[in-house]
Amino acid sequence: MSQRTHDCIPSAMTISPFAVRMLGITKRFPGVVALDDVTLEVHRGEVHAICGENGAGKSTLMKILSGVYQPDAGVLEVDGRDTRFTGTRDAERAGIAIIHQELALVEDLPVAANVFLGRERRGALGLLDDRSMAEECSSLFSQLDCAVDPGDRTGNLRVGDQQLVEIAKALSLDASIVVMDEPTSALTEVESARLERTIQRLVAQGTTILYISHKMDEVFRLADRITVLRDGRHVKTVDTTTTSPREITGWMVGRDIAGHDFHGSRPRGDKLLEVRGLSLPWPEHPRGYRLKDISFDLHAGEIVGIAGLMGAGRTELLEVLFGAGDDTWTGTIELRGEPVRFRHPREACEARVAMVTEDRKRLGLFPDLDVAGNVSLCALREALRNGLLSRTAEEHLAAGPVRDTGVKTPGLHAAITGLSGGNQQKCIIGRWLLTNPEVLLLDDPTRGIDVGAKAELYTLIDGLCRKGLGVILTSSELPELLTLADRILVLAEGRLTAELPRAEATEARIMEAATAG
Amino acid sequence: MTPPNDAHSRRSSEGSPAPQGSAAPRLRRTAWWGLRPAEWALVAAIVVAVLLTGVVDSNHSYFRLPWQSLTDILRNTALLGIFALGATVVIIAGGIDLSSGSMIALSGTIAATTMLALAPKEIMAFKPVGPAVVGVGVLAALLTGFLVGTLHTWLITAVRLPPFIATLATLVGLRSFARALCESCTLGVVGTKSAQINVSDPIFKAIRDNVWIPVAVFALLAVFTWLLLTRTVLGRHIHALGGNEQAARLAGIRTENVKWFAYCFGAMTAALAGLFYVANESVAAPVNQGRGHELNAIAAAVVGGCSLSGGVGTVPGTVLGAIFLRVVIDAVSKIIKTGADVYEGLIVGVVVVIAVTFSQLGALAKGGTRLLPGAIGLCAIPTLALLTGALAAMTAGRNGGIATGVGALFLLGLLRVWESRRSTT
Repeated sequence: MSQRTHDCIPSAMTISPFAVRMLGITKRFPGVVALDDVTLEVHRGEVHAICGENGAGKSTLMKILSGVYQPDAGVLEVDGRDTRFTGTRDAERAGIAIIHQELALVEDLPVAANVFLGRERRGALGLLDDRSMAEECSSLFSQLDCAVDPGDRTGNLRVGDQQLVEIAKALSLDASIVVMDEPTSALTEVESARLERTIQRLVAQGTTILYISHKMDEVFRLADRITVLRDGRHVKTVDTTTTSPREITGWMVGRDIAGHDFHGSRPRGDKLLEVRGLSLPWPEHPRGYRLKDISFDLHAGEIVGIAGLMGAGRTELLEVLFGAGDDTWTGTIELRGEPVRFRHPREACEARVAMVTEDRKRLGLFPDLDVAGNVSLCALREALRNGLLSRTAEEHLAAGPVRDTGVKTPGLHAAITGLSGGNQQKCIIGRWLLTNPEVLLLDDPTRGIDVGAKAELYTLIDGLCRKGLGVILTSSELPELLTLADRILVLAEGRLTAELPRAEATEARIMEAATAG
Repeated sequence: MTPPNDAHSRRSSEGSPAPQGSAAPRLRRTAWWGLRPAEWALVAAIVVAVLLTGVVDSNHSYFRLPWQSLTDILRNTALLGIFALGATVVIIAGGIDLSSGSMIALSGTIAATTMLALAPKEIMAFKPVGPAVVGVGVLAALLTGFLVGTLHTWLITAVRLPPFIATLATLVGLRSFARALCESCTLGVVGTKSAQINVSDPIFKAIRDNVWIPVAVFALLAVFTWLLLTRTVLGRHIHALGGNEQAARLAGIRTENVKWFAYCFGAMTAALAGLFYVANESVAAPVNQGRGHELNAIAAAVVGGCSLSGGVGTVPGTVLGAIFLRVVIDAVSKIIKTGADVYEGLIVGVVVVIAVTFSQLGALAKGGTRLLPGAIGLCAIPTLALLTGALAAMTAGRNGGIATGVGALFLLGLLRVWESRRSTT
């Protein structure tokens, strides 16, 4: 590794104990004060966690630090020097690298080209030196303990691996300050553990880490100090050793969140769904199958959780049940005793099966339709008056689920893209409730949603289940499954390796089954 | 409905894909009834263009021959508007149809060859062929539109070609097919090859002589399309498909069928327009009829506010876009007098650029973006000055050209200096 940027500072300068100081930062957007007089002081070489709900201002603060935004007021000091970035290049030059929450990769380019995008190495004659970039890339990936081929097309990688490409990109900058904006939101437990080891290694080399996360266990394992933001204001900065996760989440939401357990005490109804010997082939892969010999039942009034690492086949299983997959599967699926074989999601809708997809922005939202249009989409026929759509009837139709799911919106005309992630997700659940489903498939419904909104979604899902829906829920977070599910199925590489009643399920037992070869 | 909530509007500033600067959840500016602000601006632009032409035109034909000027513009607008509505539906559904110009040629050829086959003597003798034969010809042309739309949908959904490629193939293919069909039919029926077929049935003549027929067809089609897009489930599904195709499929929408409708609607409106082209010119001439007109239709839709990435667009916008394009083209032909058709493509190009730039004026005024940034901006100044200067020289003589070019250079230079000073302060 070449010299780090902060080593280049002349020794005559007084060395500040702070890698970064942000004093009195204020940032306004039209109609909103995103940051109001926020102060953040980060010691050199520490892991500093920043916690807060979505909209608390974490990402805005980090975008100011990395030069994406300029503050309206306040002072930014990097290594004790007053700094003013006019763009991300300035921040990179000052040794600050940021790994954004939303991946910013060019999917059609190979991995190595993405890592060196904008800083391509050139060899003789000024031509691209692909070999040296690929070699550097391989060595970065071996530091990260992962086996991504630098020549692979980036879009072909799983989300988890794409995140590692972003991390490799930051490492290749030799940054002295690395900002990670929810880096584990798309990672499996194994990948997260690998990332934690990388962070520890970076810290040992003297790098300062700013770490944004919703996951309290990670924050408490990694961080030396924690700063809590709420509604654009600084609430507290504390040493990790002197606080507790409960206290932090309390500061984040401004109230005490009791850890609810929703499972149990729900009356179990008739059998809705019976899956027997379900297999989904995968000819182009050495394993040969995406799913193999899956059998399970789902009853009304029951939440079945599906655990598994990324790539275990959770989404594929739900897609088969919803008729959304392209490949033909074998086995039997019986819905209320009748064998079914959905070839299109439309057929699943008609059979009263609903699915809330994994990637809200890509697979769920219609950015050009307003809140009412997004909610009413699947049940539009009910808004027909004399054969034509009536806007009044449509709003009337959408108002029900918007109210029932507790969507916070300035109105049914509001742009869906202006709502927070949690409220968008409620709109999508509301859309499906209008189809009057009996089976609700939820694919990682709380991904990227803040703590308070998660708790609201749990209450919502529990309430739906009590009304007699059968729910299948996947999640990348085990505590979520343990909170909600009556039974937990564990998938490992496409096979069902455990079916645990809630009473017998623990994080350790689930992880054991999920990693079973 | 929940009242606006302060804590919430702050929350939404993050974690949502809303672009910078629109952090608060904005209420949609969509007017479900009436026009949107951008469409009112287009209305104003049309009025300004008409008034300017009336004053600048040295013949003052808008004052001397108002009726003839009006019918000219109406006929041209109706012809363009009919298939621009089809282009609008395709574009909102997230696709593109580059083939409508060739579809116009094919539709006319199909109608003419069908009539030639059914009534060869009458056609060759420029005599009436009778309503039954005309009806069969018209139906054949519309059916061809349906078949071409189906072909597009098949290429796009089953062969999985991008819409641009699929319709680029039919853009070149259909015109060639129409020419071959015209030649082989005339050879087969009459005995000599011909590149065009004269159509002089009184029904077609009546359509040529009565401007209100194409205008009424255009108006009816516009109302139908408007109802379809805003007030039917299919219309909503078209918007959803264009906005997010994968999400639409996962919401249980049969996206292939929606596409099928959109491409058939696009091709059939072009086929309908093709019949009016034949009536107007009393001839089916596949070599040149409708050549390049697909781009005028797309331009009308874009000027009217359609987004080429799909999901966005309105019928009133496209109607106004078509009127605006035709008014500007007419203005130039009035002002230049002779050989104005040479400039038609240039005008369409300039109008599209200006209309789309105009819609971003808000961002430019706020200082969020610069019109002439960096080295590109610097090089764009002489490029634009040369373009305007050359244009002025060709239309207003050498001295006028030099003066206009120098003036443009000076004004653009001022804009550049102003923008740089603003961004440094």
